[in-house]
Amino acid sequence: MTATMPPLATPDRTNRLAATRHGNRMVAQYWDDLFTARERGQQIVWYNGGALNPIFQAAGLAWCHGEAFAARLAAQQLEGPAQLAGAEYGYNAELCSYSRTHLGCAVLTVQGDEGAQTGVVGAHDQAELAARLPAPDFFVNNYAGCSTGQQWDEISYRVFDKEVPIFNISHPFLWGNKADAGYLQGEEWESASRYVRDQLVDLIAWLEERSGNKFDWDLLRESMTYIKRAAELRREGLELCKAKPAPATFWDWISAIAPINFLPGNQELVDYFASVRDEIQHRIDHGITGIENERYRLYFDGIMNWNKLGFLSRKFAEHGVAVMAGRYITNAFWQEPQLIDTDDPLLGMAQHYLLCPTNHGTRTLDYLTLRDCEEYDVDGIVFHSTRTCRAFTGPQRLLARSAQNNLGIPSIFFEGDVADASFYKEEILESRLAAMLEAIDVKRAQAS
Amino acid sequence: MTGERRYLGVDLGSTTAKAVVVDQDGAIVSSSTIAMGAVSRAGMQRAVDAALADAGLTAEDLDGTVSTGYGRRLVPGAQRTFTEITCHARGTSAMVPGCRLVIDIGGQDSKAITVDDDGLVQEFAMNDRCASGTGRFYEVLATAVEVPIEELGALALKGSTDLEISTMCATFAETEIVSLLAQDAPVADIASSVHRAIAARTLALVAQVGRHTPVVLTGGVAQNPAAVAFLARALDTEVLVPAHPQITGAYGAALLARDADRRGRPVADDVAGADRLFPRPSEPHSCGSCDGTIDTGAAHAVDLGLPVRLGG
Ligand code: SF4
Repeated sequence: MTATMPPLATPDRTNRLAATRHGNRMVAQYWDDLFTARERGQQIVWYNGGALNPIFQAAGLAWCHGEAFAARLAAQQLEGPAQLAGAEYGYNAELCSYSRTHLGCAVLTVQGDEGAQTGVVGAHDQAELAARLPAPDFFVNNYAGCSTGQQWDEISYRVFDKEVPIFNISHPFLWGNKADAGYLQGEEWESASRYVRDQLVDLIAWLEERSGNKFDWDLLRESMTYIKRAAELRREGLELCKAKPAPATFWDWISAIAPINFLPGNQELVDYFASVRDEIQHRIDHGITGIENERYRLYFDGIMNWNKLGFLSRKFAEHGVAVMAGRYITNAFWQEPQLIDTDDPLLGMAQHYLLCPTNHGTRTLDYLTLRDCEEYDVDGIVFHSTRTCRAFTGPQRLLARSAQNNLGIPSIFFEGDVADASFYKEEILESRLAAMLEAIDVKRAQAS
Repeated sequence: MTGERRYLGVDLGSTTAKAVVVDQDGAIVSSSTIAMGAVSRAGMQRAVDAALADAGLTAEDLDGTVSTGYGRRLVPGAQRTFTEITCHARGTSAMVPGCRLVIDIGGQDSKAITVDDDGLVQEFAMNDRCASGTGRFYEVLATAVEVPIEELGALALKGSTDLEISTMCATFAETEIVSLLAQDAPVADIASSVHRAIAARTLALVAQVGRHTPVVLTGGVAQNPAAVAFLARALDTEVLVPAHPQITGAYGAALLARDADRRGRPVADDVAGADRLFPRPSEPHSCGSCDGTIDTGAAHAVDLGLPVRLGG
């Protein structure tokens, strides 16, 4: 027995895109602007779900996306005080941790600084950040495929004593069962698209009336022109990542979600996604890879565990795994830019809201997952069984079985959460991942 | 002992440490099992020392060491770690040639593993959350009803009424058991109900990889005849138990070290089961303390006139 054990602490084998750092600065600037929006005389809307920000931009409002703020707190490990405030208020830990965190922020915002005394060392400064969110003038809910969203806003509305007006957009679930139904096609799709588009028209009238601001249609067209271009560049970058070995990975695209999800549509956004795409092309041209020594390619299904973003990216790279694609990055966030008519963008926007990956029946989800697994040529799927998000986890076992039966692709499951680190258990992911990779090794050796 | 080369497999699990030494033919030279409170280096060392002493070896005599289990990275001198999935599949397939589904109920987690003709892993599933359906559950039951864990099975086989244990969380199950005791429910019925509930949970795990036969149950729980019998009823098939169900992981680990050596490769670079080295139909896994035959647990339980409902 002479050989030594592999070291427990492993080097970082990721090679993250430099361009995403610029995106991070844009996002930080966005939040700083939001925190001071009231001082600049702007009215503020809190919203959840699909990316309504171009409408708010054209309505002259500052906007706060609830999940995005919860994710930001979690990514900075600052979610604790907001969640504690939410728990003290009465929100159970089984409630979606995005909504629990954001509801806690609402409680802290209402309480102001004095309510932030938790007795937990260091919590005061963190609570200050959670409480920096300016109180809303409006709530707008734009949630597809998950009932938590509507209730979350209803409850925020009550936290603010029912004095903040609220607008709820209703999204039909796309069952995809009718004979003519399919991804982006069929009568169900067409009628649902019109139904949501009409509600956007109502929302715009509602915002105009309540805010006293005239809606700027030209500004909407302009910002949607930028967003469409940014989305096209993003898609081009995602396509380039199919190369072997992968020039960039799922984790780079996770870092690039915030800009496409809620930053204003402008030239800076387009430049940002052009720089991401160009850097990926440059990597391909020069043989630069997203991780060191790619040995496996996996698909990642599940919303991001924001507390563990860096940790998970290093963990997969340590095993030689390039995580290639996932429902969260590949099939959300303006992923079908051709749907946007920049002269008359409302229908295409409505369609994007409907395309939320929690809003499809399993037939469509199955189609999308198998398509992406094939196109990215993955060896297996990792399912992040997101503990407090039923909407995303509901069909995961069916997808796993389908991938195994149709493509012979194995899967593993591990538990975690979007914004609650306590549900993640390191050894569970480690042993399951290692076991799947061992099984993949065996299959390869047998095939060769 | 039929050869001169020796390989050590160590399975440092959550509550027990197992060590197995095999020779170049894959026959077990010695083995040891040490019960611990939790993953423990001391427990692991005792298991290794005992297995080596029994084989008349020192660490320097070994030609390969592979470790597995929760504590696999804590085993000094291991050239390679493999997961329990790979090791249980390898060890069980060697002990029970032809097996297609391995169910391992360990201290902290349960696994269902389908294996192919060559004993290689096809699919696997593990319990989702907490200690649901694991060996921990039996410990909770034993503590609550104040019966030594070794006697739980016999007690459960005497129960007749299904008390519908509603939860699969070990902590809440304890609360339920305590409240049933407070209601004066017969202890045997409580024990059989918990066994039935765990079998139903295991059935759900098996559903993820598909039912395949023959089924082999491994892990310490396989020594509990009621656990075997209730699982057999739930799966509606015979459940086989290897002669040494607790050491299948360590045995598999030792075999993987042996396989690499036979292929002439350092175990650190080897792919588990990459080719068909296994002697067929069975490797000589007996350690001499028994004849190495398989205990058909289900038949055993049915012989006892097990009072369970058909269909689990
Ligand atoms: S989809 Fe999931 S993460 Fe989003 S609001 Fe619903 S439960 Fe929460």
